[in-house]
Amino acid sequence: MSAATSTPVVTSPGRRPRYLAIAVTAAQQAVAYRINTVAGIIGNFFWIAILYYLWRAAFAETTRIGSFTWSEMRTYILLAFGLNALIGFPTASRMMYAIRTGDIVIDMVRPLNYLRTQLAQVAGAAVLEGVTSFTIILALGIGVVQILPPASPFAAVLFVISVAMGFVTKFLFVFLVALLCFWTINAVGLNWAQLAVVNVLSGTLVPIELLPGWLRPVAEWSPLRGIVATPVGVYLGQDTGWDLTLMLGLQASWLVLLWTAADRAWPRAFRAVEIQGG
Amino acid sequence: MLTLDLHRLRFYARIYAKLILLQLRAAVEYRADFWIGVVGAVLMNGAGLVFIAAFFSRIPAVAGWSAWEVATLYGLTMIAYGLREMLCDGIWTLRVQINRGEFDRLLVRPLSPALQIVTSLASIHGVGNVLLGLVVFLTATHRLELDWTVAKVLWVLMTVVCGLIMVTAISFLANVIGFWEPGTQSSFPFMVSNVVEFAKFPLELYGWGIRFLVTAVLPYGFVSYYPSLILLDKENPLRWLGYATPLATAAVTFVTAWVWRKGLARYQGVGH
Repeated sequence: MSAATSTPVVTSPGRRPRYLAIAVTAAQQAVAYRINTVAGIIGNFFWIAILYYLWRAAFAETTRIGSFTWSEMRTYILLAFGLNALIGFPTASRMMYAIRTGDIVIDMVRPLNYLRTQLAQVAGAAVLEGVTSFTIILALGIGVVQILPPASPFAAVLFVISVAMGFVTKFLFVFLVALLCFWTINAVGLNWAQLAVVNVLSGTLVPIELLPGWLRPVAEWSPLRGIVATPVGVYLGQDTGWDLTLMLGLQASWLVLLWTAADRAWPRAFRAVEIQGG
Repeated sequence: MLTLDLHRLRFYARIYAKLILLQLRAAVEYRADFWIGVVGAVLMNGAGLVFIAAFFSRIPAVAGWSAWEVATLYGLTMIAYGLREMLCDGIWTLRVQINRGEFDRLLVRPLSPALQIVTSLASIHGVGNVLLGLVVFLTATHRLELDWTVAKVLWVLMTVVCGLIMVTAISFLANVIGFWEPGTQSSFPFMVSNVVEFAKFPLELYGWGIRFLVTAVLPYGFVSYYPSLILLDKENPLRWLGYATPLATAAVTFVTAWVWRKGLARYQGVGH
């Protein structure tokens, strides 16, 4: 891959437009399969509804559960699912099936960095799938569920930064799991496992502080909390001062670590490829 | 007349058993993939159980349902769903088969196309869902100190069989769309199939829209909730609907059969 960067390419106007072109193509694909995109989004709503109704019934009895009030909890549920939907199940499937079906060879012969290509594709698709579903969820949140505004303007700014870091964190996690498809053909099973682990450890299904005792410390320090729990915590103003710095620092450190791991992992995975009938 | 029908039924049952066993055996062949599938499926449902554990550690009961009562619903739903994945998952291949023109092959064989399509896939990972569902259901009923009479055992068996037929029929209904909309990629059937998630929790929690959906449109409520009203002896104005479980299942099956025939009649092939 280093050959690509050292070869002077006259026609290519630089690195960014190449990856941008890939992102735009991915976005166009998401438009082409828009019924799919919408159905995927609605499928996500079922658990939002389940959680909403369950917690509503619970808060009818009491004003506070853990550190949550009812308005904080419903804000949490909506934002959590909205953020987790930025990179949805279909996106993860696409990454895995490219490996499973052998379409990956196209990426392998491209004179581009595979990790960055994939990030560009996921970001492109997310602009459509993710942002559409996030917008619907937000509209639902403001119109029907009445979510809280960010705790402060400062929290709002940090929230946006934290969401961006969380997005790349989820991408890297899914990317690393997808690489396992070089060794197994059961992409669906891997995808379910990935989804379940993210749903629990990121704090999407239940806020981390309410998790059962044995699971809480794991979720507390795992990189996955950066996908949901950290940004939503920032939004709600749950952490301040030192705690806030610690949370964002943890999120950023995991991001760097995961990126390094992913960058080293894919060239190894590429060596495991067997082309049938080649 | 009746003896003749019984004879045919036995014939179909034998063919079905042979074909599905073949599929299951083929699926187990890939040992590592089998385990990844089972673990993935179990984790998916395990995540929901983690939520229930977290939720009920803070709240003793919700809408009059305790943690173990909710777990009963969760377990029953998982068992029905897992059995479908193992035994009747073939309908999910319909859209791909139509799209690739492979469906023609089914029509020229001297066997019912519905039977052939049902047996065209066995998702072995369903075994994970069935086992986890059983563990959850049995633990829950044990904790609830359910008094197991013969009638209750029969009632649970009936519920599971009806549940399997119900989720199979609805997945047929969702996938038959392939006759009208033969794209291989569609989230629509998955979305319809996912409505089953609502049946894992007591229906009185939801607003009327969702309740109506899972009672009258896609009656997943009969997989777990309504029969459980009777099993767990819940006081509920809709308790009588529990007894309608076999009726509701039969109704959905008939509608599905009708739509399936409409779809078959409409099928034109892809021009081979």
